[in-house]
Amino acid sequence: MSRIAIAAIAALGFATVAVAQGMPKPTTLVDRPNATGGEKLYVEHCAMCHGPNGMGTGLLGRRVQPALLEQRSNLAAAYVIMAARRGIGNMPPITRGEVSDADLKQIADYLAAGPHLPASGAAK
Amino acid sequence: MPDIPLPPGFTAAKMSQAQKAFEAALGADKVFFTDLDRVGYEDKFAIDDRRHHPAGAIAPISVEEVQAAVKIANQFRLPLWPISRGKNLGYGTSAPELAGSVVLDLSRMKKIEFDEANGVVTLEPGVGFYDLYDYLQQHKLPFWLSTPGNSWGSVIGNALDRGVGYTPYGENTKNFCGMEVVLPTGEVVRTGMGAFSKAPTWGLYPFGFGPGWDQMFVQSNFGIVTKANMWLMPEPESLMGMDVEFDRPEDLKAMVDTIGPLRRERLLQQSPSIGNWLRAAAVLTTRKEWTDKPGALDDSVIDAIRKKFNIGWWGVSLRLYGREEVNKAAYKILEKAMTDIKPMLLKPTTWVKGQPQEYSGWTGTPMTFPMQNINWYGGRGGHIGFSPLLPQDGSLALAQFQRTYARYKEFGIDYQGSFAFGERHLINVNAMIFDKDDAAKMAKIDPFFRQLVADAKAQGYGEYRTHLDYMDLVAGTYDWNGGALRKLNEKVKNALDPNGILAPGKSGIWPTNYAGERKA
Repeated sequence: MSRIAIAAIAALGFATVAVAQGMPKPTTLVDRPNATGGEKLYVEHCAMCHGPNGMGTGLLGRRVQPALLEQRSNLAAAYVIMAARRGIGNMPPITRGEVSDADLKQIADYLAAGPHLPASGAAK
Repeated sequence: MPDIPLPPGFTAAKMSQAQKAFEAALGADKVFFTDLDRVGYEDKFAIDDRRHHPAGAIAPISVEEVQAAVKIANQFRLPLWPISRGKNLGYGTSAPELAGSVVLDLSRMKKIEFDEANGVVTLEPGVGFYDLYDYLQQHKLPFWLSTPGNSWGSVIGNALDRGVGYTPYGENTKNFCGMEVVLPTGEVVRTGMGAFSKAPTWGLYPFGFGPGWDQMFVQSNFGIVTKANMWLMPEPESLMGMDVEFDRPEDLKAMVDTIGPLRRERLLQQSPSIGNWLRAAAVLTTRKEWTDKPGALDDSVIDAIRKKFNIGWWGVSLRLYGREEVNKAAYKILEKAMTDIKPMLLKPTTWVKGQPQEYSGWTGTPMTFPMQNINWYGGRGGHIGFSPLLPQDGSLALAQFQRTYARYKEFGIDYQGSFAFGERHLINVNAMIFDKDDAAKMAKIDPFFRQLVADAKAQGYGEYRTHLDYMDLVAGTYDWNGGALRKLNEKVKNALDPNGILAPGKSGIWPTNYAGERKA
């Protein structure tokens, strides 16, 4: 991590953060204009934590590689669903109110079919 | 199968009837009463996992469906606990204050309307910071958000709980300009100019005619906000500032006494936050990489961590927003003021429109990265915070820090503290990071929190926001004239919500029918 990023984290830390020139742009749907189905739902509901500068990516990166879920080749759909619904490690559960069973199945199937290259290039 | 949590006086049969009524009104695909559903809506960061369990949840998608749910709740005298997106981590997440309540999950209400000419966005509660960030880019709208450290949550939900960001629009609750609210008896009202049919000024003038009610629905249980207007900051021409590090704990006094006047003068228009070394380190590393000694970290370990990352005991980032020429002039004043108090490091930063942008809280970029701090101790991490309000006075801030730091050492917890500026106040956020798999340490959190409340109370410092477990405790510290404010709140509560169905206990406000549930 760059010195600039560290300084900025020091300054804002918990309350905010991260930072500066060293940190990538968050991935949202504008970065994946051609995304459909499970990929689109993944970006909408998961990328905030499992995108390039997300909490989930940061914490997973301490014990497993690749940390980005979209680059994994060993995620079973049933495992994704269980982890999302029950929560796992530091990840809170994802409720059916937020992501329906049908949408979660599409996300799980998308991840299980990985590894993926982003549909329209990496996050800008 | 575990028993379904029930509110006082309820039976499982009655809850089953209520569930069927919700299914008939909303559709079964918006009603969630399985064991797994209940677990999902519990508090992920709970200090005591036995508390605040919901009976189930419902997810209406329109104002009409919210009204239908409220009607059923009144019919069954069933308490509802509204959440916007339920990401209020550290304050209760999506869990209700009163066990057995049904969570009214508004996360599927995600409409966004934008008045570009005036920079006013009209949002439903399910719109998260990432959703709005994406919307601004999809429509090429030159506006910046004000994002909190955990931006996973709802934009208006955060403002309804008085969350903060770091731009000049950082006191998010001040950006409300008119709401649409479903009252506990089911009527819909619009506040401010929204009360005036077809007024083009609903999102422009916050007060309307007569009493202004927006703040009445903030941190309260007086209504369900189904829509709100919020002002967004136009993208500035220039952003300038500096990241500054200070070497000694005692430097806090000079930092507060230097930044405070600049903030009150509005040379600084954003909301800086002074944070200690652990606020940075807990994001970057874990405790086990440095020591296996129990108790609070000693100075030798702190020094080693600071040396590794080249960070001060305290750090703060200051930013100027607006026209470039104005910022350049203000920067000189800011630079001299900070240099005069001898920082160990001062790193300038500058940006003008058209250049690559930093993706940080200062540019209103949403983020979740700071929440990595919950992995500091390892295990299933979590945190809560004790956040009293102080004047912008360096001596008082330093005394508060020294008092609190001594308590952290006494309880054997690593100190993570910050002092965040408002226009006239400081919020002293004392984060307690924990590992839910360490029962011995978890047992210390509750008595520690209560000690901090008592210490602050003795100084006249009250919390601005708190976790479910402490809403009654904190409400009790607002005790002037025999607790006159709480009595007023509950008089209003009973008038608006005669059946006590909406979020009983929120912010220590209990309707008469649940008054016995108030905790010490």
